[in-house]
Amino acid sequence: MMEDNKKLIEIKDLKVSFFTPAGEVKAVDGISYELGYNEVMGVVGESGSGKSVEAYSIIGLLQNPGKVIGGSITFEGEDLLAYTPEQMRQFRGNKVSMIFQNPMTCLNPVYTIGNQLMEALTVHDSKITKEEARARAIEMLEKVGINNAEKRINQYPHEFSGGMRQRAMIAMALICKPKLLIADEPTTALDVTIQAQILELMKELQKKENTSIIFITHNLGVVAEICDKVSVMYAGRIVEQAKVEDLFYNPQHPYTKGLLASQPRIDEEEPERLIPIEGTPIDLLNPPSGCNFGPRCKDCMKICLTKKPPFADLGDGHISACWLHFKDLKGKKEE
Amino acid sequence: MLLYILKRLLASVGTLLVVLAITFFLMNAVPGSPFITEKSTPEQIAAANAKYGLDKPLIVQFKNYLVSYCQGDLGVSLKMQEGTPVTDIMFHQGKFQLSIKLGLIALLVSVIIGIPLGCIAAYNRGSGLDGFLRVVTTVGVAIPGFVLATLLLVTFAVKLQWLPTISGSLDNVKAYIMPIISLSFYNTCYLAKLTRTSMLDAINQDYIRTARAKGVTTKSIVIKHALRNSLIPVITFLGPLIAGIITGSFVVESTFSIPGLGKYFVQSVLNRDYTVIMATTFVLSALVIFMNLVVDIAYKIVDPRITLSSRED
Amino acid sequence: MKEVFAKYSPFQVDPKELEEAFGLDENSFDSANESEKESMVEMHKSISYWADAWRRFKANHVSMVALGVFIVCMLFAFAGPKFVPYNYADQLRNAQKLGPMEYSKQEQQIKLIEGKCKAFYATALRPGSITALDKGNYVIKKGGKTYAFTLDQIWEDAVIMYMPSGIDAELIVVKMKDIVSDGSFITYDVVNYTDTAAEDAEELSLVKRVFPHVFGTDSSGRDSMVRTMFGARVSIIIGIIAALIVLIIGSIYGSISGLAGGTVDFIMMRIVELIYSIPEVLVVLLLQVVLKDPLQAWFDSSKNPFVKGLGDLGSGIVSIFITFALLYWVTMARIVRGQVLQLKKQEYVTAATALGASSRRIIKRHLLPNCVGQLVITTCLQIPSAIFLESFLSFLGMGVSAPMASLGSLCSDALQTISLFPYRLIFPAIILTIIVLSLNLVGDGLRDSLDPRLKK
Repeated sequence: MMEDNKKLIEIKDLKVSFFTPAGEVKAVDGISYELGYNEVMGVVGESGSGKSVEAYSIIGLLQNPGKVIGGSITFEGEDLLAYTPEQMRQFRGNKVSMIFQNPMTCLNPVYTIGNQLMEALTVHDSKITKEEARARAIEMLEKVGINNAEKRINQYPHEFSGGMRQRAMIAMALICKPKLLIADEPTTALDVTIQAQILELMKELQKKENTSIIFITHNLGVVAEICDKVSVMYAGRIVEQAKVEDLFYNPQHPYTKGLLASQPRIDEEEPERLIPIEGTPIDLLNPPSGCNFGPRCKDCMKICLTKKPPFADLGDGHISACWLHFKDLKGKKEE
Repeated sequence: MLLYILKRLLASVGTLLVVLAITFFLMNAVPGSPFITEKSTPEQIAAANAKYGLDKPLIVQFKNYLVSYCQGDLGVSLKMQEGTPVTDIMFHQGKFQLSIKLGLIALLVSVIIGIPLGCIAAYNRGSGLDGFLRVVTTVGVAIPGFVLATLLLVTFAVKLQWLPTISGSLDNVKAYIMPIISLSFYNTCYLAKLTRTSMLDAINQDYIRTARAKGVTTKSIVIKHALRNSLIPVITFLGPLIAGIITGSFVVESTFSIPGLGKYFVQSVLNRDYTVIMATTFVLSALVIFMNLVVDIAYKIVDPRITLSSRED
Repeated sequence: MKEVFAKYSPFQVDPKELEEAFGLDENSFDSANESEKESMVEMHKSISYWADAWRRFKANHVSMVALGVFIVCMLFAFAGPKFVPYNYADQLRNAQKLGPMEYSKQEQQIKLIEGKCKAFYATALRPGSITALDKGNYVIKKGGKTYAFTLDQIWEDAVIMYMPSGIDAELIVVKMKDIVSDGSFITYDVVNYTDTAAEDAEELSLVKRVFPHVFGTDSSGRDSMVRTMFGARVSIIIGIIAALIVLIIGSIYGSISGLAGGTVDFIMMRIVELIYSIPEVLVVLLLQVVLKDPLQAWFDSSKNPFVKGLGDLGSGIVSIFITFALLYWVTMARIVRGQVLQLKKQEYVTAATALGASSRRIIKRHLLPNCVGQLVITTCLQIPSAIFLESFLSFLGMGVSAPMASLGSLCSDALQTISLFPYRLIFPAIILTIIVLSLNLVGDGLRDSLDPRLKK
């Protein structure tokens, strides 16, 4: 990966808040990462950790009362946050496209699959003829493994099964050959067997079409399947980021460790007891002044209660935000 | 599709039968007969009853009605225009045509004005225009039809004298203005409110997010994606709307002295003119039931998910 | 990749910050105990469904104002008549066809007396009927004293006055024609009183001031404002009762249909569809005519006070209730059925069924509480529809029977004289519109705040 060291997208200190009647909710509180061409990054976290919000702000789909209040998003050297709404519209679906969690509700029930696929093409290419668009749509449907695409293209979403709808969604997202695909829990609403098929399909298409993917999920198993690197998010912040092998074999942040311990692993010979992470996520309306994970952390220290931890660089792109990494350092210093 | 329509038509006949049965037995539940007046002697009443077959057992009378309806005969008026065939009164005197004409124009006006207004309000949600439309439509559904009709009449016909007082036979265009406004105002406002709500509901759906993610323009999102979906609940309302226009026609026809079917029906009920009650009930119910059928077919056209055989789920 | 990350400020460990953190406290890297951990979490209170709904309703200013307006209308309708010394049925002689804020000649005269000597009291003998008094026993209670007296002649066009001080007698009768233009009167008759009231004595209330006819009076000399108040009361009661009928029948029918499923559901829904296609207004009109006589007979024969009360409203209103019970519940039934079908699939219902809970219990404990939002909204929006139906029937002359009034009957009574007395239509029509409007707005607000699907 990354023969070309050019960055596709770079996010710096992004902050997104929701201004609700109850107060400001810092859904994303200063996250930064970058993604190269043809790279797949997983974003993992529990619900409410801000992973979807972060994705929506890339593609400009944040809904009121959500607002980007700080940071920058740079896509191929262009500042996305400075785009006009019209530029943003041109950008969406063309350079970056997105697939969503629930394929049952994400397709418009009153139009045929073909109509919706072709629309994705025609909005970005006014010159394309209907026949061309149709041919592209059929080709794309075949690519995502829908048999009998010629006929299927005239069917309505309700005539498709859940897995097939998600395939159609993927076809629709990739029809304009976007450079980046954001997949927001694309397999969560599907049956396990279908999940595996869709993942397989995405992996295959990613290689074929040279698309980068930001893959949002709460399922670490899925991440292991498909991603090159992983960001673990907790309460609006990235807590650990690493290459996928590093994260699985050498997790550093207590939250990541907890996540891994709470997931079943089939590669272990002795089935281990699953250990849930105690407690509930913090209230983003009143975030603590210290580490967000502190209240649930079994290794919580006094400093964690008062100061947010900085990132420790553990080498080879592996970073982790936890005071524990600095404990030894302090020990050394005192010696 | 054809099979469905056939099935529905059959069911409609059943409904019509039930309505007629209810009407008939309700009508006859009251003791006495339409011929009782201050002066009439028992013999006269008995003679009149015998003449029009009212002395036969109820079930036979009911059967006779049905048989004659099947033959296209609506009977003769017993009281109001004694001896005149009801078909003559309804169709040749133009009552039916008049009411239908008024009703259809009012329906069209409501749809053509109401739905776009709702879209405009939803599209400009939160703006001053939206607020203004909300006030107008909410007030519009809170004014009783006869109050509006009377106010229009007094203001524009009596005080300002811009429009003719008595619309009568509706022989010029001006005569239509006030009856149509009175008949369609409530429905226009209701449709606008309904469209706005369902439009906003549609805009919050996942598929709209998908369309936005595809880069579809806002205009196209509203017109192509949201409108068609939001029309589904609006169509549901069209059935009651048609019934509502018939209700309204009673009021409007009385206020503007229009000799239409609605007014005629009320008069027949008040006069206990049995055959006319049955005949008007038959015609009006058939109309409402038929329009409901049309609405159901319109569903299928707008929403491909609805398999016509089971609308419920 | 190392360099890449080092460029971002949050990824970079600022040595200064680290120094600071290390220097903070000797024990800063010791484990924190449970209570310390807990103290840093500041969970906001989780809000119950109703509290949350109320919070959202309060945030909706339009609906709050509408609720306020509706409460004012309720006060107008239910408490208002207490403050007006007239009654909806009393026909004031010589006070017919008065405009808003006008007084009849007699009332003007009494006002003159008031103006002349402050110590005087004018009595409205029987609220509303100022000037005529039958023979009989009466009693006035004032200032801790009881004035009981007997009138052995009919006093036409006269007023009884109570004078705590002034002339030689405390209770006098003055004929209107004896009152001169400056408010004094030429002669008067002394009324002899005792302090023990006869058993059948009618108590008279003392009214110090003549109350204006704020909305004017009608052609029979009845005070329009008090009639409008009663009309609003009747309309609101009709609306609420009709809505309750719809609520009860609709929710029972709907939940049985949805819960039973299968053939039962199929048949029940065909019935609903059938009722849907019946043109309601035709049936309403027929019912009105048909039920009129039997109902009247029932009212007359019954001694039950409730039935008597219904009788006062008239057979038309009872027919409205019957119509609602027969035809109007179908929408509610459909909504409830839809909700039940949706909820039936939820796990907790499956769990309850698996635990052997009876259908009745499931309906009561699980299903109804969950569709209560929808029920409240639909019921609330049903009230205006009943008020509308009643006014429509009144227009056709089939609503409440006189002298009782409803807003609809007041409006339709006013139609005949619309060009002469437009205000007679305007006042009840405005009140009717305000009530329906505020209920609609409250209903909309309830929908926004109770329906969790619309939660943003």
